[in-house]
Amino acid sequence: MVQLGSRLLKGYRGGHVVIRFALGGCTNRPFFRIVAAHSRRARDGKYLEQLGCLDPLPNARGEKVAGLNLERLRHWLGCGAQLSRPAEKLLGLAGFLPLHPMTVTGAERLRRRRRAQEAAVPPVAGGLQQPGEKP
Amino acid sequence: MAALGAWGTAVQRGRLWGAARALWGWRRPQRALGQDAGSAAEKKDAKPSFTDEAVQNLLYKMTGLDLQKVFRPVKQELKPPKYKLLTEAQLEEATKKAIKEAKEKLTMPPVLDEREPIDDVLAEDKILDGIETTKYIFTDLTYSIPHRERFIVVREPNGVLRKATWEERDRMIQIFFPKEGRRVIPQAVFKDEHLVTVFQQDRHEDILNMCIAQFEPDSADYIRIHHRTYDDIEKHAKYDLLRSTRHFGGMVWYLVNRKKTDGLLIDMIHRDLLDDATSLITLYHMLHPECQSAKEAEERKLQGVDLIKVFAKTESQKEGYIQLALQAYEEAMATTTGS
Repeated sequence: MVQLGSRLLKGYRGGHVVIRFALGGCTNRPFFRIVAAHSRRARDGKYLEQLGCLDPLPNARGEKVAGLNLERLRHWLGCGAQLSRPAEKLLGLAGFLPLHPMTVTGAERLRRRRRAQEAAVPPVAGGLQQPGEKP
Repeated sequence: MAALGAWGTAVQRGRLWGAARALWGWRRPQRALGQDAGSAAEKKDAKPSFTDEAVQNLLYKMTGLDLQKVFRPVKQELKPPKYKLLTEAQLEEATKKAIKEAKEKLTMPPVLDEREPIDDVLAEDKILDGIETTKYIFTDLTYSIPHRERFIVVREPNGVLRKATWEERDRMIQIFFPKEGRRVIPQAVFKDEHLVTVFQQDRHEDILNMCIAQFEPDSADYIRIHHRTYDDIEKHAKYDLLRSTRHFGGMVWYLVNRKKTDGLLIDMIHRDLLDDATSLITLYHMLHPECQSAKEAEERKLQGVDLIKVFAKTESQKEGYIQLALQAYEEAMATTTGS
């Protein structure tokens, strides 16, 4: 006999609808479902509707596959749903929303870090050679 | 173009398109999508296309209706055969129903030009260049839009957001909206080196059925496999393999367009299918109205064997063989009528 406990008929105080990623899959094999759910629900818990999916691991052709149900996404955004930051970034990459400012900032930071590393490496290499050359 | 025989009715045409649409989800080829909208009218008058009623009727007649072959046992779940006791009238009705079903099975798959490659950039974000290592493919999963209009975009590692190529599109649509009989990655048998083995085993019909299930009718692979199959059949004169199947029309269309009809003509005469032979030559004249035999036939209003003889003299390469075959046919007719 199924006990309809408070977990299924949960009512929350406050909270809003969010469109976010719910993690699924197995150990060392993540898989995200893009989901419209109450903000107070568990990350992988009961959701209102699944709006798509994202496979974070690249497939045999070297592509990361993502599906987005744009019609339903537009419906939920029209109903006043919020977006989580990773969802916003993904939609920015997809071209549905404009590119997220943090994507741009992250890209700039990464470039700066890489340039700094490249600048740091040559002087070390130059410094090592000098003691060897001088007998 | 005058309709031929009792086949050229509006109902027939409606049925053909209705059945074709039900099977393929194919609407009338929209001229705006990639075809020249302006020259469409001239194309119809100048050159008959595969979908013209008259052409379809001719191809249909040539395909033949061998019920034994159409309803030959397909590999299915093994069920014991059911026997029924029927009166003559009931048997006739059952045969009529079988013929109707066979006609549905013989609906010809579409013959289209190769699709134009998609090459459209939606956005270029140089800031993202070199940040990601792999590309992202985004597919629109809205249920109600047709697959041809679906948005499938790719974000490359260099920051470019472009529309997906046809191969990527087909793969994504098969992943999210799987169709029966189709695989995400096409089977290795469709490569040229493996097609040779298939042809050696005389399994042309099977490979064409698989090809129709796997590829879209206007994809490069579909056209390539069909052309290879037709070339092989023409080389070894294995026309009977495709007779009474839905691929026969497409094969005849291909051969007539490339003027390689001699082998087929000889095969038809050998099998005493004179009507089919005349239909073939009529189709040839429809497609190549400027050739000499077409003009002569037009002038002298030739029918039957005379048409074939004029065609053999003017247009064919294997005139000798055709004359021999005709002689053999006439002798056979003479002996049967004599005895």
